[in-house]
Amino acid sequence: MALTKKEVEKIAKLARLGLEESEKEKFAEDLSSVLGYVQKLSEVNIEKVEPMTGGTNLENVMREDNETKDIADDEMKADILTAAPDKENGYFKVPSILE
Amino acid sequence: MNLNKLTIKQAHELLEKREVSSVELIRAHFNEIKKRDKDIHAFLSLTEEEAIKAAKKVDERISRGEPIEMLAGIPAAIKDNILIRGAKTTAASKILENYVAPYDATVIKKLKEENAVFVGKTNMDEFAMGSSTENSAFGPTKNPVDLERVPGGSSGGSAAAIKAGFSVYALGSDTGGSIRQPAGFCGVVGFKPTYGAVSRHGLIAMASSLDQIGPIARNVDDAAAVFEAIRGVDELDSTSVSSSAGGQDYWNSPLDMEEIKVGVPREYFIHGLNPEIEKNIKSVISKLEKEGVGIEEIFLPYSEWALATYYIIMTAEVSANLARFDGIKYGFSQIKNQKSKIKNLMEVYLESRGEGFGAEVRRRIMLGTYILSAGYYEAYYARAQKVRRLIKQDFDRAFKEVDVIITPTSPTTAFKFGEKTQDPLSMYLADIYTISVNLAGLPGVSIPVKEAAGLPVGLQLIGRNFDDVRLLKIAKIIETISQ
Repeated sequence: MALTKKEVEKIAKLARLGLEESEKEKFAEDLSSVLGYVQKLSEVNIEKVEPMTGGTNLENVMREDNETKDIADDEMKADILTAAPDKENGYFKVPSILE
Repeated sequence: MNLNKLTIKQAHELLEKREVSSVELIRAHFNEIKKRDKDIHAFLSLTEEEAIKAAKKVDERISRGEPIEMLAGIPAAIKDNILIRGAKTTAASKILENYVAPYDATVIKKLKEENAVFVGKTNMDEFAMGSSTENSAFGPTKNPVDLERVPGGSSGGSAAAIKAGFSVYALGSDTGGSIRQPAGFCGVVGFKPTYGAVSRHGLIAMASSLDQIGPIARNVDDAAAVFEAIRGVDELDSTSVSSSAGGQDYWNSPLDMEEIKVGVPREYFIHGLNPEIEKNIKSVISKLEKEGVGIEEIFLPYSEWALATYYIIMTAEVSANLARFDGIKYGFSQIKNQKSKIKNLMEVYLESRGEGFGAEVRRRIMLGTYILSAGYYEAYYARAQKVRRLIKQDFDRAFKEVDVIITPTSPTTAFKFGEKTQDPLSMYLADIYTISVNLAGLPGVSIPVKEAAGLPVGLQLIGRNFDDVRLLKIAKIIETISQ
């Protein structure tokens, strides 16, 4: 399982990660080595096995949809916005999305 | 009297008897930190002013003759991926270098209700990804036992802080061994509760189906005391369960040795295990047998595939969880960097994330992205979820026969800096004995036993789901007989 530099570039773009040119070879090597190792799972017979999709078998849990109660009081809202690198009038500011 | 080696119980008694004030206790710890943390680097930030204020509040209550909680006025160190409102929380990443938490994690809220005192935030591998703290963006932590060696990871700063006498106890987080392995490397107790026993709200998520917060402490009693304070159901973590699950009365009704059955998995005592570690663990098992504890060989046949399963599930969840770091909402961003000539949203993502994340974090995000991408999902992720079920069933079968399982915490003692950084797979193997526990959602605790060549050795005890209290009681028995 050897990934090419080109494949690494494609994955990095999907993952929204900028890579330096000089790092790509090493990442290709590292990712290939781990992917090679996890191939090991193909040895296991998984016929008729139910997937385990979480940490425990818990039931669905509901709570009241009231964000002001536990999640964000006014002071917290201000703090959250302060942490944003670019904002305007109480909103996060985002550069153009479309060309 | 050395105030830097106290257990929670000892510190609590000194405070109650007014032999020491909380302010004195806290100052003694900051003095030790200032003297020695330059060399050890257990902390990323200190919260001295707030700590002294909180300690004074406890002292006032004591002077009025009010009863105080078990953890009141006692120093706690918090891993830097757990949010304390108003305090810097970096997860040891450049992308959160200047991030100030706008709310308290549920565990912090609970500790504040106990009037715990936070001395600072501890170092870790970036986003808890690593087994040595060498992946911290702000430099590694050193093992207080031997400064040329790693403290383990990812909660290496928390474990080192307890060993060095910088705090009485600490919180860590454990996704594949990140509490137990550093506790083993530093010679302290580290407890990862059952998945769901402690709320994860306010823990910076790494792999949500595996992450769990837990204590690092000087002995099992202390780990139990902290666990009691932080456990319980939380509206803000839908996977959390009420504290009645997990058992009660740690402090009462001791176990009868002859009623305990311990399993020893053949698969965990194989090649690759340091022979002296094997000898020391086996000597504990013989001692238990002499005391009348039932010892049984058990089989966990799917152990061989645990590491591969873990590296698929964990990286898949990492790639999803770390998508939130986008250079828009908070954290390091290139959005306003004039030199980078950002033209559109895509470039904000690429440049902020490319520069903000370290190599191991990017490696895992890319692996997870690849594994979840079209055409590969079935072969990797869906298959790993099925093998995860088989690993869980191994444990279910074993726990029909035995109450707890004994293994080494790690195959080696603390290694030297740089020994494993070049080859990610060799670093991943440091977690070989701890990851299955996370995959199966079980509770696990590491207890120091006899050292090997002057370095601490951890014994791992694994319990049934939500049988945390009994697990700790058995851990206490082992702690007592191995001293």
